[in-house]
Amino acid sequence: MIALLKLLQSLVKTLHSDGTPHQIGLGMALGAALGLTPIANVHNVIVVVLLIMLNVSFGAGLLAWALFTPVGFLLDPAFDRIGGALLLENASLQPLWTRLDHTPFVPFTNFGNTVVLGSVIGWLILSVPIYLAARLAVVRYRTTYGTRLRQWRIVQTVTASRAYNVWQWFHA
Amino acid sequence: MPDDTPRSRRVIRWRGIIPLCLAIALAAVGYVLFAERIVRDTTAEAASKMLGTHVEIDRLTMHETEPSVELVGVRIADPFDAMKNLFEASRIQIELESDPLLERKLIVRRLAIESVRVGTARQRPAPPAPRDGFAAIALGAVKQWRSQFDVPLLSLTPLDTIRSIVLDPSQLQTVQRALRLRTEADSVRAAVTTEYAGLALRQTLDSARSVAERLQGQNPLQLGINGTRQAVTDVRRTLNELQAARRRVEDLERSTRSGLELLASGVQEVDDARAADFAFARGLLKLPTFAAPDIGNAVFGQVTIERFQQLVYWSELAQDHLPPGLDPRRKPGPQRARAAGTTVRFVQDRSYPSFLLRRGDLDLTISGDGATSGTYRVGIANLTTAPDVVGLPMQFAVSRTGGGSGMSLRGGGVMDHLGGRMRDSMMISAAGVPLPSFDIPGLPLRAELGRGTSRLMFDRAGDQIRGSWNVRAADVAWAPDGKGRALNRLEELAVRVITGLDDIELSASVSGTMESPVLSVRSNLDRVLASRVREVLGEEVARAEREARTQVERIVRERAAPIQAEALRIRTEAEQQIADARARLDTARTELEGRLRSLGVR
Repeated sequence: MIALLKLLQSLVKTLHSDGTPHQIGLGMALGAALGLTPIANVHNVIVVVLLIMLNVSFGAGLLAWALFTPVGFLLDPAFDRIGGALLLENASLQPLWTRLDHTPFVPFTNFGNTVVLGSVIGWLILSVPIYLAARLAVVRYRTTYGTRLRQWRIVQTVTASRAYNVWQWFHA
Repeated sequence: MPDDTPRSRRVIRWRGIIPLCLAIALAAVGYVLFAERIVRDTTAEAASKMLGTHVEIDRLTMHETEPSVELVGVRIADPFDAMKNLFEASRIQIELESDPLLERKLIVRRLAIESVRVGTARQRPAPPAPRDGFAAIALGAVKQWRSQFDVPLLSLTPLDTIRSIVLDPSQLQTVQRALRLRTEADSVRAAVTTEYAGLALRQTLDSARSVAERLQGQNPLQLGINGTRQAVTDVRRTLNELQAARRRVEDLERSTRSGLELLASGVQEVDDARAADFAFARGLLKLPTFAAPDIGNAVFGQVTIERFQQLVYWSELAQDHLPPGLDPRRKPGPQRARAAGTTVRFVQDRSYPSFLLRRGDLDLTISGDGATSGTYRVGIANLTTAPDVVGLPMQFAVSRTGGGSGMSLRGGGVMDHLGGRMRDSMMISAAGVPLPSFDIPGLPLRAELGRGTSRLMFDRAGDQIRGSWNVRAADVAWAPDGKGRALNRLEELAVRVITGLDDIELSASVSGTMESPVLSVRSNLDRVLASRVREVLGEEVARAEREARTQVERIVRERAAPIQAEALRIRTEAEQQIADARARLDTARTELEGRLRSLGVR
């Protein structure tokens, strides 16, 4: 229940932030990596750094993380198959993997794991539709329900809180 | 909409540096506080999984600048005895090469192990090995391997209980095979009868006979031109019918040949099953063990297999962890909430393997006043996860270099996993070494072999195994096992013979394949015991065996012999029937050809 409320809160904050649809879309696309791929991997450190340092919606990133984590679990078998096909069944890619496996630092990315590679590839493919869908949804929302919802007391309470001010640091 | 504000178009959010620095600082603090603990736990867990036995590490210190790792208080439990440690070291210093670390590879430059103890007792039993690791599977495979040995029980049945057996005919293989033969014979007979009836020979032969009789004594002058032409046509048509009938007979012969051969082999198999029935009947007699090879295997079988099963276990691990070739190496991914997947490492020629110990020279000291105390030198070379990358087989050698117990030891081995080969061989030879103590199966005696010489050799090439264990103990003690049960006359004799021996010379061997290993043990004990038991029991045993054989013969005569005779009769009749058909067709054809000649056709 608490997780659901937090998710709702995050959704409201994101939709009512000053972030542009483009920034929210990018934040969602980046944050999806945290949910779709196994979290404890080097590429996710880079994703978090990008979320912090790039002018994208951090809240959207966290929201995407929460939203896409169950999707990631569901898609694991597909990711395993994609990774297996790329790593083991495609002979023309073997020289590339071999070279990468013997390149300094690269093996620490765990690219040799079928689920990691498959999910990263899956995320890269899905990030474009995620970005476009999130951007479209924000634009639609703001032109339809956004103004009315801003007048709700609960939304005003959340946006007036001190935590919200800190939160705003990460928004454009 | 805020899209158009200049602030929104900036790419970098410089304010993010503050939380990023905070996160990095937190990560650094976390590394300092927890990294060594995490690495220690991970190392112990990975080692437990790899070796298939519990591994404990008290402390792990990382020296990032050198780079090296120091392990303190390392204990490896014995995979076959939870209350023993196979190996204990107070400190292990591992110096690594730095460049391969950047490729996530461990190349050990120097390995130093201090204060090693082997075979020490544990305070608490070691937890079982992780069930999902290869080692656990290997352990299961070794237990399966061990269970394949047919180690006979040492049976010293009292003379007065050698029983007169009453055989149940249905238990005998001869009778079972004969019953199957009867079914086969019935089936063959039915098939031959049906197919023979389908030949329609009678009609063909009657037609041929009719044509031959009609033309008997006729010539072209009597028949005229048209009559002769008609007669020639009739004869040729009939000859064609005979030819077709002959082909049908040949087809029948071919189709029934396999059935008839089955009957012949069935009859032979019934004869062959008789030997197995004699052995079965003899087994029911519960005769005491008096053949020397059986006694040797019964007394020393288990203790010998224990020696070899450990070598098979380590060989299984070596074959998995040191695979030949340069194909990508697959292993299950790390444990996590998400799916583990499969982790693949890509091996490349002329590069660093994932792990390599180029050379390790260890001087071990086993302290105390035990028999194994002293100093040892162990050398290991080319221990690697990718032998084909290193291009050299893994070698090891061990020798005892000092100590006051009078024991000498030397040994070595090669694990050659190059170019698709999988050959592991090792030899260890020791003198003055403590030999195992073990219970004599079937007797309330415990053998204390004391000190002696032991030479253990094992060679595994693919699936083929070859091993030998030679033991010589000159000061053997025999102790009662404490159960104190009453002995029968034969057991008393065996105990008297065995306890009269002061020395044991044992020669055991294992051969064959992993799936079908064969154990053979010879010793002076089994020769002496077999000779004495035979002297005492020879006459009794011979009489009981004669009785069992007579019973088997009688049952075979009553139950199997008639079926064999019937099967042979069916076979003979079928062959005769086919031969008769062929002869009658040939006779008819010869007769018609004669008619054709008399009509002036050549």
